[in-house]
Amino acid sequence: MRDLYQRLAVSPEANEQEISQAVASCQHSALRQDAEAVFAVAERRETYDTLHDTVSDIGKLRARLGLSHGAHWQGDVANDFSLPPDHAISRHDELVDRVSHAVSLYNRWRRWRGPWLLIAVFATGAGIGIALGLALCLGLLPM
Amino acid sequence: MSIARFSPFELLLLKSRSQVDTATLLLLAWVLVHRQHVSEGQRRRRLAQVTAQFRHGHELGPVMSIARSQDLQAIQLAAEVVRKECGTERSLSVIHQAITVATDDGELSLANHYILRFLADLLSIAPMTLNTLFKELTGTPLATPEDPSRDAYWQAHDPDYHARKAREAEAAEQYHQQANARAEQQQQQKERRHQQKQQKQQEKQQRQEQARQAREQEQQRQREQTRQQEQERQRQQQQREQAERERRRSRQQDSRHQHRQQEHRQQRASPPPDRTTRALSVLGLTPGATRVEVRHAYRRMAQLHHPDRFYSESEQQVALASARFQRIKNAYDYLMQTY
Repeated sequence: MRDLYQRLAVSPEANEQEISQAVASCQHSALRQDAEAVFAVAERRETYDTLHDTVSDIGKLRARLGLSHGAHWQGDVANDFSLPPDHAISRHDELVDRVSHAVSLYNRWRRWRGPWLLIAVFATGAGIGIALGLALCLGLLPM
Repeated sequence: MSIARFSPFELLLLKSRSQVDTATLLLLAWVLVHRQHVSEGQRRRRLAQVTAQFRHGHELGPVMSIARSQDLQAIQLAAEVVRKECGTERSLSVIHQAITVATDDGELSLANHYILRFLADLLSIAPMTLNTLFKELTGTPLATPEDPSRDAYWQAHDPDYHARKAREAEAAEQYHQQANARAEQQQQQKERRHQQKQQKQQEKQQRQEQARQAREQEQQRQREQTRQQEQERQRQQQQREQAERERRRSRQQDSRHQHRQQEHRQQRASPPPDRTTRALSVLGLTPGATRVEVRHAYRRMAQLHHPDRFYSESEQQVALASARFQRIKNAYDYLMQTY
């Protein structure tokens, strides 16, 4: 399995015209023959694209998990679909961080007696509103 | 401070009673999604069957939908959890389950070839172990995946298309051959006409010559008659006549030469129409080759027959090579002018 898009220097979303141009200008005759065989028929390209997506997903996963030099990742596939190692943080560590952050927020909320605080704030707000309204009514009536 | 929302799989993982089981479930579902010719219900049933021993304690539906959406981050998270939590025993059982799920009765799909290998790398299972396990479970050795980026794969998997194409190519070839044959016939006819013309001219010349000879004989007879009358004058006249004859002959030769030259020029002025074909065949191409193909063929041939390549061999080889090279170059120049 080779990445024909990479080898022909076109993007995988390229339309048929661009691809046929790239194929025609390809200097390598064997590669040109293969590319013609794959891209000449729409169903073949669809099949190829599906597999291409899966394999490039696996390439990404391997790069993120540090598995781009595995014993089962050799040859054309490894050449074409390996990405430079990704320094993205491990998803599991990120999940643990987020959970601990959420837990600390929740604890703070409980420590400040959150629900009572909310009720108190709501009550004061309502009281001020009613007082203002009354004052407005009283002030308006004499006029 | 705000934190990003938890994704469905993260929530599932947090709710799960056993994180490893949930993660394994997602990886198995990912393998199942890439199996061909299986309906959605069959997939779910199969997953439930395989994971009957799991202690995750949640529904399978969300896992299947996450796997179907190819959520790369969820799969990465699952892979990390599995790698972190699985010992040697557990990883063997996981790869065992993955193989059974991937190859229940049918063949291993191309995508699953790569997924299984990814899982083996993830669980640090050596190729030998994977091969033996695969052979034990399925009865066939784990083959290298076929390559749909090659022409050979499609030749094998789509023979109808290739048969049709071959037939079309054959028809085109026949058409070409017929066209060539027609062109050759025309050429032959033209040559025949030319030959006839030449023959006629030769006959004309012969007739002229005969007439001249007859005239000379007559003159000789006259001369014989006059010789008896005037011997001295006759000698002088003979000399004069001889001179004249010589002059005439030389003039005629001149005119004949000119005629031949004209013919020659005519031949050269109208080059045979198959010169392109011949030039193409010098470059090893068939009629109908494009300009790009001509250029490539020329480069290849020039490299093959360049005199410098034969420098270390005999001088004769170099001479032969340079003759060949010259012919190739002439053909190429001609084609570049006409194409």
